[in-house]
Amino acid sequence: MDNVQDVFQETPQDVFRPPPMWRVFLREHWLHLLIVAVLIVLPHAIGWITGDSPFGRVRGSRVIMAGESTYWQAIFIEMFSLAVLVMSYNLMFGFTGVISFGHALFFGIGGYAVGIVVQYWDVDPNLAFIAGVLLVIFITSILGLLIGLLSLRLRGIYFAIFTLAIAEMAWLYAGSWRLTRGEDGLTINRLPEWIDPERSRLMVYYIGLALFVTAFLVIRRLVRSPAGAVFQAIRENEDRAKAIGYNTLRYKLLSIVVASVLAGLAGILMGILNKSARPELLGVTYTVDALLITIIGGVGTLAGPVVGTAGLHLLELWVRDSSIILSLNLGLFEFTLNFSQDWILIIGVVFVVVVLVFPYGLVGTWYRLRARVGDWWERRRATT
Amino acid sequence: MTRSDAVLITAIVGAILSFSFISSGGNVGSFGITILSGLFQGMLLFLVAAGLSLIFGLMDVLNFAQGAYFMVGAYLAYDIQHTGGLIDVGIADPGLRFIVGVIAATLAGAVLGVLLELLLRPVYKRHLFLLVLTFGVSIVMLEGIKAFYSVTPYTWTEFFGIREAQFTFLGQNFTQYRLFVLAVGFALMVGISLLLNRTRIGIIIRAGVQDREMVSALGINVQTVFTFVFTLGCAVAAFGGAIAAPFLGATITMGTTYLVAAIAVIVLGGLGSYEGTAIGAMIVGLALAAMQQFSITINQPVLASITPMMLLIAVLLIRPRGLFGQER
Repeated sequence: MDNVQDVFQETPQDVFRPPPMWRVFLREHWLHLLIVAVLIVLPHAIGWITGDSPFGRVRGSRVIMAGESTYWQAIFIEMFSLAVLVMSYNLMFGFTGVISFGHALFFGIGGYAVGIVVQYWDVDPNLAFIAGVLLVIFITSILGLLIGLLSLRLRGIYFAIFTLAIAEMAWLYAGSWRLTRGEDGLTINRLPEWIDPERSRLMVYYIGLALFVTAFLVIRRLVRSPAGAVFQAIRENEDRAKAIGYNTLRYKLLSIVVASVLAGLAGILMGILNKSARPELLGVTYTVDALLITIIGGVGTLAGPVVGTAGLHLLELWVRDSSIILSLNLGLFEFTLNFSQDWILIIGVVFVVVVLVFPYGLVGTWYRLRARVGDWWERRRATT
Repeated sequence: MTRSDAVLITAIVGAILSFSFISSGGNVGSFGITILSGLFQGMLLFLVAAGLSLIFGLMDVLNFAQGAYFMVGAYLAYDIQHTGGLIDVGIADPGLRFIVGVIAATLAGAVLGVLLELLLRPVYKRHLFLLVLTFGVSIVMLEGIKAFYSVTPYTWTEFFGIREAQFTFLGQNFTQYRLFVLAVGFALMVGISLLLNRTRIGIIIRAGVQDREMVSALGINVQTVFTFVFTLGCAVAAFGGAIAAPFLGATITMGTTYLVAAIAVIVLGGLGSYEGTAIGAMIVGLALAAMQQFSITINQPVLASITPMMLLIAVLLIRPRGLFGQER
């Protein structure tokens, strides 16, 4: 038993001391914290640089939303909404392997339900708004549950097309229903002051940021929990997950319901920002956007949707505002490419190129590359 | 086709027919026109869905660009048939110009199909990326067409006297051109069916739908078969667009509109089944025509547009794999 003696005689500097908690946390999350900090100060920073107040310009007794800072706030609010939509889609599709072509249904319900409650319920706008948000959470979770239950019977692509059919029906119906004001869309102008983007946009910006961060944390917590491990098992092979004894339907339902509610909340934000709910919110475009951005950012990665949304949205903005005109003379005919006019064409080409160059999405390919470089470094260090 | 399949299809068709008979108010002429118009719309759906179904069956790729091929075909045929278009073929006879236009559109569809297939090759193993790629290509084609044909107030000149001419059927007028589309579409339907069932390449395609790896293990170059099917599917879509253009006109959104309905059709018929696609297209077309008739009577136009989706949902709830689908 002389070993015991040895242990006790060990000198203090040999004992392994874990580094303090905050340092571990910082080392792991410095990038996340930095991004959030930048986003928090961004409106003020832009306002400070350009000299425009982030609260808008004062015109007599009213404040109007003009100037660089408020312009960028609107862009970022839209980006937060899209990012939450894409992250929720990624939870369902990238982590659980449930393909849906009708995710815009929940996004549109978010915008429309809040709009209808605020516009038609004649009470204090604060109360109406909160009731609207609760209603959205209620409807999206019930609807997510019902549609999710059908995934027991419909597998894979059949489920995807089924959801597409439901969303398309909702889209067509919203475009002709009198309550939703048909094709023109429902104007939402009875919002309480604190969440009206025309009166206090900075507040909406911070609410959007809070929604974005919360959604990210919720999805991260869910994916890294034991339930998240089951999600990924279902994605890899549902029959095996069943064979181990998991009730896979229950886990798929959890994933679908959380994704539906988050998409509904993102839809509320979009409805508030546009101050209207239009049939496009329910249209197949938003679903396809979510699907494509998920794939381009990196399927089944936490950062992928955020990187994809930010990248594509800012690129789209830049292309639309740019004044680049390319002229191509092919002898037979002349082809001019005006970036700001043909921006959709540029985005289409970017889709094709990104898919061919980054076969696992932006973030997915980056992870692989990093792992490969790390391996190579390890091997090199081991040999020399 | 098993007995229960036959019973189900008969029940669906019977329900649609009796519904359209009731909604036409027992008027035989108007009922007949509804049926003809239903078959015509079903044929248009079939022309987009046929290629989609062949490609999906063999390669598991939902080709989002299929609608764009339909649109490109329509635009090209439109342009060549029109005397002052971008492409001037220098033929005086409008009938001949129409034929040249259809052939050129089909060839262009085939060439573009080969190009798309070449582009898809590096990512064949990753189905999701194929979705993004085909979608990106469809955007590029759409915008390319938009850039070339910035204004299209083209009008069709009469050819063979069939575009404007009408014939009387049980006291109701019906355009002859729609009958022409029906006939050509039916010939194509039978032609592809013969190709699949009576030729060597057809046997290989059908075997590939069942089990792709087994086919390549037997020493058949599946890659070539892929290229062939992709080209065929795209050419059929472009041909459909060219044939449909004199009736539908050429618009930028026509491809997308028909794509969603065509996806509904191939799922309703059961993925990977050619007969399913043909029957599904006809069922959806008939239901659409009956609902259009009905929605005019009760003044609810939205009912007609949601019909394909409602039918799809109903069929999927009864049959989770569509009418003739297999597990996949």
